[in-house]
Amino acid sequence: MSENKAIRVALTKGRLEKDTVGLFEKMGFDVTELKEKGRRLILNIPGQNMEVVLAKAADVITYVELGACDIGVVGKDTILEHGGEYFEIADLGFGRCRFALATKKGLDFYGGVGVKTVATKYPNVTRRFFESKRMDVDIVKIEGSVELAPLLRIADGIVDIVETGTTLKENGLAVIEDVVPISARLIVNTVSMKLKKERIEQLTEMMKAAL
Amino acid sequence: MKKYDLLTPEGTRDLIFDECAALRSVGETLRGIYTSHGYSEVITPGLEFFDVFNNKSRHYSQEVLYKLTDGKGRLVVMRPDSTMPIARLMGTRLRTAAIPLKLFYNQTIYRANPKESGRDDEFYQSGVEIIGGDVMRSDMEALSVAAEVMGSLGVDEYRFEIGDSGFFTLLSSKLGMKEQELDDLREYALSKNYPALDSMLAQYPDNIYAAALSKLTRLFGGREVFPEAEKILPEEAMPVLKRLEEVYDNLCALGMGGEVTVDLGFVSKTEDYYTGIVFKGYIEGYGMPVLTGGRYDKLIADFGVDTPATGFAVNENAVANALLKRSGGILLPASDVMIYAEDGCVVEAIKHCRELIGKGLKAEYADLADKSEAEAYAKARGVAKLHIVTKNGITEEQVQ
Repeated sequence: MSENKAIRVALTKGRLEKDTVGLFEKMGFDVTELKEKGRRLILNIPGQNMEVVLAKAADVITYVELGACDIGVVGKDTILEHGGEYFEIADLGFGRCRFALATKKGLDFYGGVGVKTVATKYPNVTRRFFESKRMDVDIVKIEGSVELAPLLRIADGIVDIVETGTTLKENGLAVIEDVVPISARLIVNTVSMKLKKERIEQLTEMMKAAL
Repeated sequence: MKKYDLLTPEGTRDLIFDECAALRSVGETLRGIYTSHGYSEVITPGLEFFDVFNNKSRHYSQEVLYKLTDGKGRLVVMRPDSTMPIARLMGTRLRTAAIPLKLFYNQTIYRANPKESGRDDEFYQSGVEIIGGDVMRSDMEALSVAAEVMGSLGVDEYRFEIGDSGFFTLLSSKLGMKEQELDDLREYALSKNYPALDSMLAQYPDNIYAAALSKLTRLFGGREVFPEAEKILPEEAMPVLKRLEEVYDNLCALGMGGEVTVDLGFVSKTEDYYTGIVFKGYIEGYGMPVLTGGRYDKLIADFGVDTPATGFAVNENAVANALLKRSGGILLPASDVMIYAEDGCVVEAIKHCRELIGKGLKAEYADLADKSEAEAYAKARGVAKLHIVTKNGITEEQVQ
């Protein structure tokens, strides 16, 4: 009964969207609408009874958690920052990078007795990281280029997503510790997983095979 | 200046008209099921001491509780659950009651959800607890009443899922993990985080328990999961599997085969809370289970009486919302008649209103002094007939 029902997939706009659309293409899906989307936010994959919703990363989680979308592709960074209840059934391998703690090059971050200040776009990830070290830190939430914070002397270090490390290097910063690796994940609403099991498992297997 | 005088706190809402009707109708349907099976109602306080919800076998983390202090400065919480207060009752006033004790409740629950998560912080929850009794027999009763509840909701499609907490408890205990590792494993199994679960279990090559755990998490569906599970489960887990299969067969024999599914990957959210058969109910259009339940044999011992128990709880607001969506938001029929009293005819009008009600009609008295206002009011209320009570008698008008 529910197996032929439409399935709705939320994609994180931007790079993960491009990678996932590429994956769908490899799987033989007709992705014309996805490639020529204009400003539309809900798109069809003809012949698959599948709808694609484009959303910001955190919204992908919200839509999946509330069951508005059955499946989502979202970065582990967003999952770690937002939490929530859903199944995280596959590591898609692309969008690979890591959370890392960085400071001004040569600074002894863990030295001294003072409470350290850490700037980040990801306060929850940062708080948990230092909680696991049983360490009190002051966290400053920054929305834009976090690398500025140590340079402007409002923070001793930053916790941020690091890919190549070029931005850090050019600003005189260096990674002193990796926090956690990141990649794109396939998340599934807990009820959809049960009500649309075959459909979801089949799609997951196809995606994994095409990686 | 007042800033919040026109708002309700996040996670709460006013329910009006049809929303109330839908919620009450769900509540009454469920009450009907519970009482017809001989369950007795309990109402526990909305405020309880924090300690009630902070036990060995189950605890609520500080973040999800609404807390306040009483007159003596003691920490009090808004009830986040009804089972633990009922366990407290078992340890006190119900200590000498006839066992098995079958109770039901229907009351509000308060949980501080993460900000802007779109979930209700306050909702009506009803459910049953079967305390004491034979494990197999009371499991079967709880399951059949829960299945009856799911079938009575009037939703288009639902699933009733069964599992057993014993698989995870048994298999994970064989791995010799430290507490933190075990917590992580539980978290990964709970969120069906296959990549993390597998990389953690990869530390145990050639271990039948680890291999079984990894496969079990993925094993859910219909009857086909039982022969699959037989192939991968170690000998010790067979009795659990056989029992679950028997339950599945029993539910099929009760005519619920079409809706029942099995999830062998079930994991208790809090350590060791569930101790046997567990079950969940899902409906189309609500992203979380609307019914959750299972066997919890250790909880009541935390309150001084060592007795097994099972039960379930239903989120009535979630079901009511689904019903409202399905009906297009209209559940309440309009009144049959609107009654308008001309000057000096108020007593006559009220008598007429009572008379109509006595005949089984829904009659509404318009508290207005102007006839055209009464007509407009009847129209706005969707009432088709207007009775005008005058000194010369009563006339009827069709409302345009």
